[in-house]
This record gives sequence, C-alpha cells and structure tokens, in this order.
Amino acid sequence: MKRIRRLSAALTLSGVMGTVAPVAALAASVITISGATASAPLVTLLAQKYVKTHPHQVKFKIAQGGTNVGIADVAAGRVSMADVSRDPLPSDPSGLVFNPIARYFVCVVTNRSNPLANLTEAQAQAIFTGKVREWGQVPGSSAHGTIDLVSRTSAAGVLTTFQTLLLGNKSVSQVASQEPSEGLLQQKVQSDPNAIGFLSDYFALKGVNPVGFNGVGCSLANAESGQYPGVAHFYEVTRGPASGAAKAFIGWIQASPVARKIITSAWLPLH
Amino acid sequence: MLERLRHPWSDRRAELVLGAVACSVAGAIALMIAFVAVGAWPTFAHNGLSWLGAGGNPETQIGNMLHTGPHPPAVAYHLRAWPLIYGTLLTAGLALVFGLAFALLAAVFLVEFAPAAVRRVLSPVVRLLAGVPSVIYGLLGVLVLAPFVGNHVISPAEKRSVQYVVQLDGTGLAVAVVVLTVMITPIMVALIADALSEVPAAWREGAVALGVNPLRATLAVSLRAIRPAIVAAGAFACARAVGEAVMLAMVSGSDAFSPKPWDGVPFLFEPLLTLAASIFRNAEGLSAPAVRSSVDAFALLLLFSAFVLSLGSYLVKLPLRRHHAGLR
Amino acid sequence: MNAFPEALPVKAPRPRRSSLRSWRWGDRLFYVLAWASGLALCLIAGALVLYMLVRGLQYVSPSLIFSRPRAEVNQAQIGGFLDPLLGTLLLVAIGVVLATPVGVASAVWIVEYGQGRVGRRLARVVESSVEIVAGTPDIVIAIFALTLFQLGAFSFLSFTASGGGVYGRSFLTAGAAISLLAIPPVFLATRDGLEALPGHQREGAFALGKTRVATIRRVLLPGVRPNIATGVTLGMGRIIGDTAIVFLLLGVGASERIEPQSGPAGLNVLRGTGSTLTSYIYSNSPAGEGAAPQKAYAAAFVLLAMVLALNAAAGFISGRGRSGRMSFGDRVRYGAWA
Repeated sequence: MKRIRRLSAALTLSGVMGTVAPVAALAASVITISGATASAPLVTLLAQKYVKTHPHQVKFKIAQGGTNVGIADVAAGRVSMADVSRDPLPSDPSGLVFNPIARYFVCVVTNRSNPLANLTEAQAQAIFTGKVREWGQVPGSSAHGTIDLVSRTSAAGVLTTFQTLLLGNKSVSQVASQEPSEGLLQQKVQSDPNAIGFLSDYFALKGVNPVGFNGVGCSLANAESGQYPGVAHFYEVTRGPASGAAKAFIGWIQASPVARKIITSAWLPLH
Repeated sequence: MLERLRHPWSDRRAELVLGAVACSVAGAIALMIAFVAVGAWPTFAHNGLSWLGAGGNPETQIGNMLHTGPHPPAVAYHLRAWPLIYGTLLTAGLALVFGLAFALLAAVFLVEFAPAAVRRVLSPVVRLLAGVPSVIYGLLGVLVLAPFVGNHVISPAEKRSVQYVVQLDGTGLAVAVVVLTVMITPIMVALIADALSEVPAAWREGAVALGVNPLRATLAVSLRAIRPAIVAAGAFACARAVGEAVMLAMVSGSDAFSPKPWDGVPFLFEPLLTLAASIFRNAEGLSAPAVRSSVDAFALLLLFSAFVLSLGSYLVKLPLRRHHAGLR
Repeated sequence: MNAFPEALPVKAPRPRRSSLRSWRWGDRLFYVLAWASGLALCLIAGALVLYMLVRGLQYVSPSLIFSRPRAEVNQAQIGGFLDPLLGTLLLVAIGVVLATPVGVASAVWIVEYGQGRVGRRLARVVESSVEIVAGTPDIVIAIFALTLFQLGAFSFLSFTASGGGVYGRSFLTAGAAISLLAIPPVFLATRDGLEALPGHQREGAFALGKTRVATIRRVLLPGVRPNIATGVTLGMGRIIGDTAIVFLLLGVGASERIEPQSGPAGLNVLRGTGSTLTSYIYSNSPAGEGAAPQKAYAAAFVLLAMVLALNAAAGFISGRGRSGRMSFGDRVRYGAWA
C-alpha cells in the first residue's frame, strides 16, 4: 500500500515536470545578462535569433533591473554581461569594457489626450527640474492642473542619458515619481492625462505621445539623419575584455547582417 | 543499503538522528540571524547612530550605491533610514489601531448579537479572508482602490498644495492603511471571537444574574477575561503588518517620503515606503556590497521587531496569567 | 419559617431582554458600534468575495488555465498561466517534501527524547527557533536564502553562468527557502498531537518490550497522522500564498515560463527558473510589467479557489482527528493563519 502511494507520488511529480521539460539540453554554456530595461527588448530579440542560428551552443538568462544594477552585477562577476543604456561614467567600477551594439534615442512623452507637439530646451528644463508645475503655463498643451512628472529610479541609464542630452546636465526634480522600468513609466504616462516623462524610442513610439524637441519631431527618421539631438548608445558591458560565449555573441551582434536587420527594425545601427 | 536502513534502529541512533534534524532547524535560524547581522554591520559601522536619523531620501541613497563597484569607498554607505522606519511605524501603527478597534467590536457582534444564520456564514468567510494571499489584496488595492482615490477623492487643489514637494496619485498612506487594515482584521476577529466563545458561560451568566445588561456583561467580564488573547491577536497582526512587503510595494506609492501630518488632508494621500517594501524593491541590486549591507540592515531591523513583538506580548500576558488560569 | 403563602410551583419567568432604554449611554454607544462593525464586516467580506468571484469568472477560461504564457507585444490577449500554475504545484511539492520530515522529526525528538538536563535545554532552543521562524517576515527569509544560495558552495542547486556568478535562483532554492515557512505548522501540530496522546499507549508498548523507536514508528506516529496532515495542509496554504520568496528566488522578470537548465530530465527543471501564480499576479498587475489585469484577476481567482480548498481540507482533517475541531487560535499558533 505504501509502495503504491510512493510510486504514484513519484509518477505524478515526474508527470508534472514532464509536461514542461523538453528533452534534456546538451551541455551548453549559459550567458546571464542583467541591466537596462530600455535595451531588454532588443537584447531579447537578438538572443532569440542567436539561439535559433546557433543551436545547442548557448542558453540565455536575461534579467533587467536597470543599467546600474547591471553594472553592479557584472562588476561583481554575478552575470556574464550587462545591458547598459548610457555612456561610461567616471564613477563606474574600474575594469569594465563597454562594447557598443546599437544606438537609440530618448523622447519626452505625454499622454495621448495631451498632444503636446514640441518643447524647447528651456521649457523642458523648467518642467523637469520642477520650476514649472502647472500645465497652464506650458504653451501647446491641452491638459489642466498639476504636471505629474514621471521619471526613472537612479538605477536607470536612460535617466542619465536624458539629463545629459536633453536637460543640459540638470537633474530631474525629486518631486517626480520614480519608476523602476521603461514599461512602468510608459504605463504611468498612458494612464494619467496629466503625466509627462521620457522614454527610449521603442517604448516612446507606442501608446503615448512623443514630443518634439527644439522644433525637431522625435522619430526614427530624424534620429537617423542626425537632426534629433537625443541619440545615445546601447552597450554590452563585460568585466575585462569579452571572452568565450559572451565574446561570440557580442561579435555576432556587431557583425552579422541578421542582427543588423533586427536592430534597424526599431532602433539605430551603430553606423 | 536501503535494507540496512529498514532494519530496526537502536534508540540511541534514533535519538541522535532526530536530534540532529531538530537542531538543524535551530542551526538554520541561527545561520539566518548571523548572515543578516554580519551583512548589516558595515552600514552601521559607517553611519553610526545617525543611520536611524533623517536626511534625504533613502531610496535615492541606495540607488547611488549601485554603481560603486565591488569595493565601495566609505562615503558610498551613506544612508539615513528614518523615512522608512517612520513609514513602517505609521502604516503598521494606524492599521493596528483601526484594526484592533474594529476587530473587537466585530468579534463582540459575532458572538453576541449576530443571528445564528449570519454567524454560520460569517465565521468561515472570516477564516477565508484571513488566508487570502497578500498579493491579491495588493491587486485589489492597485486596480480598484488606488485609481478611485486618485481620480475621485484627491482634489486638484490638494495636489497643487504639495506640488513642489511630492506628487499625489492615489497610491499612498490612505490606501496602504486601508488595505493593511482589511488584511489584518479578519485574523484578529477570528482569534478574539474564538477566545470569547471559550469563556465559560457561567462567568457571564453570573454577571447577568446580578442585573448587568448582556452587552456590559460581555465587556466587563468576557473581554477582560480574554485580555491575553487580545494581546496575542494584536501582536500577531502587528507582526504581519510590519513584515508585509509585496502588498505595500504595490499600493503605498513607493517613494521614501515622510508623510507630514501638518500638511492637512494631503497627509492622507502622500506616498511612503516601508522597510519591508524597500527590501523588496532593492532586491535586484544585491551585487553591490553597499546595497546588500543596507538591505541586510533593514532585514535585521525587521527581525528585531518581530522578536520584540513576541517578547513584548509574552511579557504583557505574564501578569494577566495569574488571573486567567484556565484561559490561554 | 416560610415567609410566602403556599402556592403551586410556578414556571420560572423567562428573562425579559433588557430594553435598550435601560442601558447606560456608553453601553448604547457600544451596542451601535458593535452592530455597525458587524455589518461593515459583512459588507466588506461580501464585497471582496463577490468582486473576486465576478472578476474571476469574467476572465477565467479553460484556455487560460491550460495554455502557456507567451511573450508577445499584445500581452493582454495572448497566453495563459499553465506554467505559473505548475510552478505553484511544484513549489508546494518541494516545500512539503522538505518540511514534513524535518517538522515531524523535530517534534518527535522534542516530545519523546527531549528529556534530561541537556536535552531539555536543547528542546527549548529548538522550540524558540521554530517560533522565531513562524514570526519572521517572509521577505527576510528570502533575502537570507538569496545571499546563501549565491555562494559558490550551493551552485549545484541552481547553475553557474560564464563569468563565475552563481545564479542562486531556481525551484530548488525557492523550495528550500519556502519550506522554512511550512515547518512551524507541521512541527507544532505534530507536537500537540503527540502530547495529547494518552500516556498509556506508550506505557503499554514499553510493557510489551518494544523499543522507543518501534513505539514511535508503530504506535505514536500512526496516532498523530491527522495532526500531521492538518499541519501539512496549513503549511501548504502558507506556501501557496507567498510572493516575496518566489519573487526573489525564482527570478520573476526573467520569464514566466518554466525554463529548465541542462541536466538529467527532472533535475533540470528543479534547477531551472519559472514562476508561480503569486508572482504571475504581481507581474500582470499595474505594479509589474504585464499590464494585463484580466489575466491577473483570472489567476487570482484560481489561487483563491486553491486556498479555499486547502482551508476546507484542513478543517475537515482536523475535525476527523482525535482532538476534534482545531480552534483558530491553534491555527494561528502554528504560524499558519490560513
């Protein structure tokens, strides 16, 4: 009786796992990635393609957390490489190598019900540093009431890029609510008619209203032609020069035409 | 080999093996306390007593620790955790006060006044509510309560009055306290109602026989008699409220701001962050030693508070035990 | 002397319910407040249950339950939660498998062997640590387990990535951490059951010449089987409802699907990552990335159904046991309020 019970328990357990476990993979090296939420969609697509074109060689484990989480992880040796969406800072840990893989651009965004078309640099600075707090004082906006600033947590690379390129190195006000990821920032702006924030292009061009900067609309074409000022790089950061499976993957992204096609679908290639 | 194991064991061997298993539990707990305490030491060493003080936004300070690398300089450990401690005390304290008052009254209702049919339905429902996972409370809070408060309760004037300091959007103190109260009250109701129904009927009937009205008899006799159970219920609910991480991370606004009572009505809607919710939000950054040390310090504080709560409830019940020999 | 005239015995007058008018003001206020609280409790409880029921039934469908999550752009429409559901079941299985022997063995040791000067002191230490575990917030256990299992010595439980970092997140590590939550209910239920067993059972067995071990195995343990079952059920309830440990140790955000590592079939799933219903609900709420509240409601409905079923099972099992229906206070003392 007991043996039957034990057997049936074992069978149930293996049945549960059997429905989801594919055939045991051959020994493959694992590349763990963590870091920017802005480049996560791109890196996920690239990883999927890489696994398809190089079967049984690598497995990927992609986490997010924000650029600085990725930097901390890779400096501690906890991941193979980090997605980073900003340029290197002097305060970064030493020994890290920044390998560029693509370019992206940052847009100011508002809710779709507030079709703000353009902001000058001075206006953007006044709004995001918290000097101007009422929509009534912003020409071209149709919203009323307090401006709801939406920003990112200090782990974000896009925040650093935005402050450097579009805010003239000023800091976003502490009043702003801090979202831990691009997706959450996008959700916040989508659901609040009085919200204004900033997003990388993949997230800025769907569901929200991208705002022009200094008279130049925020679009892929303008970024490509160089007219739009808010263009920055995505990096894959490794501890020391890339080696092994990570080096192969990064090399593939930088050289392969298949990878370039994926990049150009929604982002900018390196050149 | 299995055959050898199946042969009858000697008492000595069984005692040793079972004792080893039992002590491994104690060992695991000791290991946990040691891990957390040793991990928390650097941040206390670098900040001293002002770690408990106020000065800036702790979430920003932790965020700045992230890219300091594997060997952070001493300044990287800078942290002033008072807003988090204040947030924890505020939400848990308010939820406990409201919850205990509500639970006492509802338990008295359940035992005294509820018609039998209502009691039959309500008792299992209360037990069910006590077992609902906290993420579901958080889901209802963030999908139903927070948008309602943000769109229909907070007025633009109130938002404007604090707009240079903080943004109000619905998630904040009020929603957090309401959801936390709803979360911890069913446990207290069930505990107190059970304890009330265990009071010997003779005690109450004696009071009624002396001419006291039934409600006063319950209050004067039964409630006094179950004071240990009330303390236990309160301590238990408080421990749950203090340790609640996920639900509060969803509905409390997640901004390590200290709500200011002198702001008036906006005080109710200001965002905050508690120790447990902060641990939850910063769990991805543990590779940075400074972050890990700060998070361990929060965990140590939570452990300490759980310990203090159970010790406190034990001490409070001690003098009561003399008078209530028969009741737990 | 009889002060009263002879009279036929009269039925005792039925006590008149004292009218509210004769009460003090404070009592009247309390009466009103008690009724108000009771009604409020009914309303809130009813509203919660009904709302979850309505929303859940609105969104739950067999296709959701039995299809796997898909990472698509249009999150709201596509994919189900089969993987999180299986993840919950797997985690419960691991947690129970780890917690039951430890809890039962510890309880047996404390009751049967914890005598003598050293034994009794050790027994107090073990009991205190179980109480500490029962009172620890689950987020603290999660942080401890995460830092512990990211040490190199434990890399066999998850996997090591190129670059040297032990990942530390897998079903095994999450299961090990979550079993700590289930140990207090099993331990306390077993201990109470063993202490409630009449002494003559043991004495009879000893008189017949059986060793203590044999007595435990053949007489006592079968006797406390309902208690063990109740404790395990309560522990399962706690495991199912936990989010923090799952979040930190199963790697949400990476993926909602069960992703096995390399290795022999079975072990590869255990060492791999996945999600459970609780982390799935969190991810699909506005606090997470999913922005698919319908799926969150559906998953919450299924989760509530499981909790309800476990509740009923625990009550049923404890009702059949020797000690009769377990009071809620006992449940709470076991560290499992479900």
